[in-house]
Amino acid sequence: MHNLWDRILRSNKEEESLSTFLQRIPVFSHLNRKDFQYIKTLIHTRAYSPGEIIFEQGDPGSGMYIIRSGHVTLFTRDAHNKREDLSVLGPEDFFGETTIATPTARVISASCNEKCELLGLFRSDLFAVAERRPEIANRILLGLTSVISERLQNAILELRKYSVSEES
Amino acid sequence: MHMTRSQFLFFYFVMTAALASGLALFSSASTITLALRSAAAGIFVPLILALTAAFVLDPVVSKLEKYHIPRSRSTLAIFFFILALLWLSGSWLVTYTQQMWISLLQDFPRYSAGLIKYIKEAQISWQEEFPLLAQYDLTERVREWAEKFFAFLIVATPKSALKLGSLLILVPLFAFFFIRDGANIRRSLIALAPNRYFEMAHDLSYLISRQTARFVRGRIIEASIIGLCITAGLSLTDIRYAPLLGLFAGITNLIPYLGPLMGMIPGFTIAMIDLGFGAQFWWIVILYILIAQVILDNFILIPILISRYANLHPLLVVVAIIMGGKIYGVLGMIIGIPILSACKIAFIQIRHYRRAFSLPDTGTELPH
Repeated sequence: MHNLWDRILRSNKEEESLSTFLQRIPVFSHLNRKDFQYIKTLIHTRAYSPGEIIFEQGDPGSGMYIIRSGHVTLFTRDAHNKREDLSVLGPEDFFGETTIATPTARVISASCNEKCELLGLFRSDLFAVAERRPEIANRILLGLTSVISERLQNAILELRKYSVSEES
Repeated sequence: MHMTRSQFLFFYFVMTAALASGLALFSSASTITLALRSAAAGIFVPLILALTAAFVLDPVVSKLEKYHIPRSRSTLAIFFFILALLWLSGSWLVTYTQQMWISLLQDFPRYSAGLIKYIKEAQISWQEEFPLLAQYDLTERVREWAEKFFAFLIVATPKSALKLGSLLILVPLFAFFFIRDGANIRRSLIALAPNRYFEMAHDLSYLISRQTARFVRGRIIEASIIGLCITAGLSLTDIRYAPLLGLFAGITNLIPYLGPLMGMIPGFTIAMIDLGFGAQFWWIVILYILIAQVILDNFILIPILISRYANLHPLLVVVAIIMGGKIYGVLGMIIGIPILSACKIAFIQIRHYRRAFSLPDTGTELPH
């Protein structure tokens, strides 16, 4: 009996923390507190082992990943298949969000540094929500747009800096 | 290689044991598949019907969900609505169909005799033209078939009533859970895929199931409209059993190419025998062929409801009908086509998917 209660309480706690975790992710910043109950049914939780490849560049991309625990390295491979690390992401970071709206190939690769738990949000789930609960899909897309435009802005500034330093 | 006698004996025993265990494994495997088959036999039909019902009702549930009604509650609401409809129309519907069925059973020998008479006349005329076919007795075959079918109808009526009762319980039950948990069932199946292939499996399963649902929904709506049109058209004439003939034409319309032809036979037979070759008969011919098939189905319904996407080659259709018929009879003929179409949809989606992502290697284009 004790065991049973333990299990029930523990699972509740875990679920609770999944919604509170998601609330901290900028993509979901436009969502209401109530919406997270629904979002939980869309998110795929996947466990990865150390060194495991999440995706390789050139793979068909269909969504974004949010890191719940562990660290993920993003890298590219050059023509000689030499690996060049770009950045290391930690919990609450996310990547791959550019493929969520349109089907494109991945332009970078990602692998896990240690044991990781990732939350996946994919295009097909977003389409399904758009049909059933358009207002929730709207809020997710708003959050996504603001994140992507922010990153685009940063990339433009970086590029400008880069070209200025090239010229001088 | 030289072998001593004991080595040879040992080799002999090992081989025998291996063969025996192989045979035992094989036979037990076939018993297991047999057991599985007999266990699954009763479940196949309700499962397929429930899946179809789920495909048809899913958009309605999704629409209700838009108004913030939780999925299980909206599913329940629709089920109660259908139940209430059946309940209200129940007393009228049951007596009406029962009366019609009983009178059809009484009329059947008359209709089959009439059909056989026409066939016999036709046979005599064609045997005069082609003496080669003199040995082939089509009339006798049709008579045998009609007698068998009639005997089957009489025996099967109480049996199928019982079956119908169990279907009436199982189908709504399955359909309820398919509608409520369909997405979750698909999710948990996809979750079994290894990480590396998960994304692709997820995407493909979504695309394939959406296309298949759309296809099945389209076919069901098409068949119901055809059935209603035939019923309405026949009701204008004095022909009996208009609703039954419409129902039959609707169901057979699910089978491409051959189905519509099969659906016409009882209508034409009853019209010929009861009404003769008058104006009403020709109206019925025009209704079946021109109005229902050519104008309504080919020019209006198919372009709107059925995407060309799942179009099957006529050869494939015939193969599917024959194979489906061999396995599950008439039901197999109807079910074979959507299963084959689902396979084709899966095939096309996978090809599209591969083509969409066959981009040049992005690695070589990045500066380093």
